[in-house]
This record gives sequence, C-alpha cells and structure tokens, in this order.
Amino acid sequence: MSHIKELTKGIFKENPTFIIMLGMCPTLGVSTQVSNALGMGASVIFVLTCSNIFISLLRKVIPDSVRIPCYIVIIASFVTIVEMVLHAFVPSVYEALGVYLPLIVVNCIILGRAEAFAGKNGVLDSALDGIGMGVGFTLSLSLIALIREVFGAGTITLFPVGSFSGVITIPGLSESPVRVLTLAAGALLLMGYLKAFFQWKTSRPKGGRA
Amino acid sequence: MTRYLKTAIILFLISAICTALCAIVNEITAPLIAGNIESERIAALEDVAAGYSIGAETAVNDGTVNYYIPLSDGDSSAGYIVELSTSGYGGAMTVIASYTSDGAVMEAKMMANSETPGLGKKAEEPWYMEMFKGLGADSPLPATKSDLNAEDNAAVSGASITFSGVSSALIAGSEFVKGLGGAV
Repeated sequence: MSHIKELTKGIFKENPTFIIMLGMCPTLGVSTQVSNALGMGASVIFVLTCSNIFISLLRKVIPDSVRIPCYIVIIASFVTIVEMVLHAFVPSVYEALGVYLPLIVVNCIILGRAEAFAGKNGVLDSALDGIGMGVGFTLSLSLIALIREVFGAGTITLFPVGSFSGVITIPGLSESPVRVLTLAAGALLLMGYLKAFFQWKTSRPKGGRA
Repeated sequence: MTRYLKTAIILFLISAICTALCAIVNEITAPLIAGNIESERIAALEDVAAGYSIGAETAVNDGTVNYYIPLSDGDSSAGYIVELSTSGYGGAMTVIASYTSDGAVMEAKMMANSETPGLGKKAEEPWYMEMFKGLGADSPLPATKSDLNAEDNAAVSGASITFSGVSSALIAGSEFVKGLGGAV
C-alpha cells in the first residue's frame, strides 16, 4: 500500500469511528460542542502519531511478552504531556475535556493502532497511519459535535479570538433547539444514523445502485 | 533468567525515557499551570465576595479550613471568605464560600474536584450552591439529602457523596466563622 493510502485510509475507508467503531466513549462524551471535539481530536492526533512513531521505532526491541505494558507506558506518557500542555496553554479546553483526556490512555484507537499497525510496520508508515487515523477520528468527532450543537443548542462553539467570543448563534435554532441531541440518548441516535449512512456508502457496489 | 533480566531492563529503560520526557514538559508547563490555578482562585474569590472588599488571607490549615479572608463594607466587617477542603466520590474537593459574620452562607463555589461528569460535577453549576445560600445562621445548613426539599433532593440524586462532601465542608466553614466572632 502506498504512503498516501496509509494516510488517507483512516478518513473514510477505515474510519475509526464509523467503520472500525473504536473510541466510542470519548466520541459520545465530548461531542456536545465543536470546540471540545477539535481539542479532543488534536490531542488524539498528537498522541496517536507520537505513540505510533515511538512504538514502531522500538518494535524490534520490545519483547513480545511485555509489549502491552510497554505500549501503555508510552501512550500514557504522551497523554500526560498533552494534559500538561493543554492545562498550561488552553485551560478552557482542558476543563471541558475533563476525565476524557486522561482516558485517551485506554482509548481503543490508540492501543488498537499500536497493536495492529505500529508494532508491525516501519516508522514512516506508522506515522502516516497515526496522522490519518487521528484526522479521521477528529473529522468524525467534529461532524457529530457540529450536528449535535447546531440542532441541539443552536450554536457553534469555536475558540475565542480577539473580539470574537468563539460562539456563533444560529437564529431560529437557538430559540427552539432539539434538546435531545445534547443528551446521551441523542448522541447514540445520531451515531446510529451516521453509522448506517457510512455502512450504506461503503457496502454499495461501485457504480451500482444500493 | 537472562531473558527475564533483559525484559525487565528494556521495560525499565522505556519507563525511564518516558518519565524523562514527562519531566521536561512538566518543567516548562508547571509555572504556567500554577499561574492559571491562581488566576482561577482570584476570580472565584471575587465571585463569592458579593461586592465586598477582600482583605488579607490568614492561613489555618486545620484539615478542613485552608484559610480565611475577612470581607469589609467600608470600615465595618461584612463577613468572611473561607477555602475548605473536603472529599467527594472522586477524591479531594475544594470549596470556596463566603459567610456573613453570623455564619450564614452568602455565596459558594466548587473549585478543584474529580467528580463524575453529569453527576457530582453538577456541583460546579451555579444553581447547585443556591440550596445552601442564606443558611447556617438561624436556619441550619442541610447535612444530608433528607434535609432538602423534594426538588433539591431530586437534583442531587445520584451524587449523594458529593453532596455530603459539599454540605459537611460548608457546615464546618459556618462553625469556623461563628468561632471567629466577627474578628478581623
């Protein structure tokens, strides 16, 4: 598989959220606001890429019998680094992500890619796999958050810049939003519809009609 | 034996490298994090001061009360701000509360905590502390959920340990303020 395919497979063909169905807990937990989704996505891209590179570099050194503890130590270290950086430089995102940030350590996407890909492939491919999967996760998370926030609260929350408060209010929807979408039940419903869409999109024969 | 030793050494070296990486990042970020926490604390003090002038901090550190700060309205004493340590479902919690000189809660705010999102974390929301406001002097503060009205009882359901932690801290703070007797 070419390097480009390694990079792009996570975005649609092997999308970690809608196709492989990994990392569901943070996906449902932090997708209430777009800013949270972007913060979580950026954190996962960093941890996934760094841990994939590190694990790929050490794949011939790490004994098979202790590979999982080694992976966890490496992943936990990068998650700790992300936590400290967010707490120092973006405290609002750090607060918003709450418990889901340290839980990246046990995010199935990170450990899954370490076990299934980085532990068996070269550094460049592992880095590209990490970036691609991370971007795929971020796009999925942002899509879910955008739909939930727009229809559930009538707002789009981004990051404040200068005089811009970071919140875009959508007239009409902000006065009478579909509140269920901001709740856990709404997240599961939306996830189901999006999964069905992706399933239909990936399973239909090429050039044919579903 | 050699195989086990080799495995242990590899695991140790990986852990040592990871620890060193974390230590370097901590060295850079620790002062910034401390600054953020201090800014948050100052903002919380201003929030609970209820418009009164904030005086100088006096350390107590008796296990529950960390420190107190007198509040003044011109020349007269208006009450105190007390920082309280307590514990909830997720471990240690810090509450900052302001009291009138007779021990009634004026304002309160949940600070550092590791409570469960959607349950104990509700204590961070402004409405949560409303159930304690004005109580502690003539009317007692609620010690258990059964002391609450039906609406508040339902609101804190699922997070009884958090509620007990917050209420016990506020009661201790009220008693502490009563003990000060209006002294500055």
